[in-house]
Amino acid sequence: MTAAPKPAPIRDARGKRPQFYEAQGLDQAMSMILVLASEFAVLRERMDTLERILEAHGIDAAAAIEAYAPTTEVLTARETWRQAFLARLYYLARKDAADAARGDTDTRFRETIETIAER
Amino acid sequence: MSVEMVNIFQQADHAVLPKPLHDERARQEFAKSMKGFVQQRLLPGLAPVFAGRASRAFARAEGRPPADRHDIRRAMVADPYFQHYAAANRIAQELLWDSVIDSIERELPALNARAAELSAASRAPLETSPDFPTPRYVTALDIHCMPGGYAGEVAPGDISTGALYDRGVYLYAMGYMGPMNDDMGRSVVNWLRRNLPGFAPQRILDMGCTVGHSTLPYKEGFPDAEVIGIDVAAPQVRYAHARAAGLGLEVGFLQRNAEATGFPDAHFDLVVSHILLHETSGRAMPAIFRECFRILKPGGLMIHADLPPFDRMDPFAQFILDNETWYNNEPFWGAMREMDQLALARDAGFPDPRFDTAPMAVLEFAAQSADYADAAAVAEREFTAGEYAPGGGWEILFARKPE
Repeated sequence: MTAAPKPAPIRDARGKRPQFYEAQGLDQAMSMILVLASEFAVLRERMDTLERILEAHGIDAAAAIEAYAPTTEVLTARETWRQAFLARLYYLARKDAADAARGDTDTRFRETIETIAER
Repeated sequence: MSVEMVNIFQQADHAVLPKPLHDERARQEFAKSMKGFVQQRLLPGLAPVFAGRASRAFARAEGRPPADRHDIRRAMVADPYFQHYAAANRIAQELLWDSVIDSIERELPALNARAAELSAASRAPLETSPDFPTPRYVTALDIHCMPGGYAGEVAPGDISTGALYDRGVYLYAMGYMGPMNDDMGRSVVNWLRRNLPGFAPQRILDMGCTVGHSTLPYKEGFPDAEVIGIDVAAPQVRYAHARAAGLGLEVGFLQRNAEATGFPDAHFDLVVSHILLHETSGRAMPAIFRECFRILKPGGLMIHADLPPFDRMDPFAQFILDNETWYNNEPFWGAMREMDQLALARDAGFPDPRFDTAPMAVLEFAAQSADYADAAAVAEREFTAGEYAPGGGWEILFARKPE
């Protein structure tokens, strides 16, 4: 018996994404900056959680971190994480391609608003 | 009045809500914080930017000042401040959904199995149909930019877009809907208690119920009543049923269209909807009013909690609100606000429809949860277009079918 494939949720919303900035590419740059800001906040929060837990257990994390040497397994896990991170960073490039693949355009978006008001 | 509070509102857990890992939760919190920042710190700058800069540039170019929300929009889209505001708002919305999908993807397909198990143990009816015709106004765009929309399914018996909506709408509302996302339903139930103290409905219908977050307060408020929620999207209906079952409430959820529900004439004492009408269409909305009239018993009550018409606010406020049409995939949002809702209700047979404000139930949440201790401040706010739940109240349209 083969297991059913694990379902993958839909990531891109239907409907052409507006461009807010006149300069080409700036919308994508802004989204990347904010994804980075989000990840910075996540990381900071995790470090904070970790240090508080360690402190509660009487462990000096700072010295142990300096002495740490990653194994092959750890190196692999870190590279896998970095690739997933880059995929998140470029989510707008994915959305742009999805709009193009579905044929979603500004014209189609405007037509939807007009026709939905009527019928 | 500006509200300077640190928003630490947290959603209450329940059986089918996805359980985020530490970092998933931190990403979700960041999206919620960013929405709050955009509304509290960036939004207030739009008025001075328009008055001091964008309206003048428009007047220089056009030889006349901006006259309506369409002119204001044309003036503002060229301004860098507005571009940053609108882009940040949109990106926060995108990050919000993506952060929740991470939790859902990790939990699939176990999440669907959990929901099916909860539903199987409930005696309340659950009805979906694989060939149900989902109306175009729900499928043409993914409303709120929620990937998959209400009706998207990626597996048999899928509830993932229901889970996405439940967690996402909590973050979208920055927790102001309360720990169970039930503020709108509670607000209307409170309004009924205050204005119709003896009202004891036996059958209650919630139209366009999505995950049933607004439906459940009616079961809590009228425990002896038969309460039913309907929605056109199967994943929402399934999730709503499992969610209610997990919370120990017997509420039926059926995949039905509010335009033609299939219920008998004169069946319900109370028919309600919450932020449904603006997600329908110019043809569906009057049909929904007529259907409400048909399925209500004589003397029964119709209540729609939705958006006030544009004629109740100035053009700048209209422009701010209309950004939802253009940037948040809400194709009917602007057009709906230009419709004469009272006339539509009268045409459907209701002799005396009226608008009223149902104050937000947010004050009650402070008593439920420690992280809601500061919620009272929200009820004191004045109307600010572009903020979630402005003015601390919901606009309701209510009408009674004649005896």
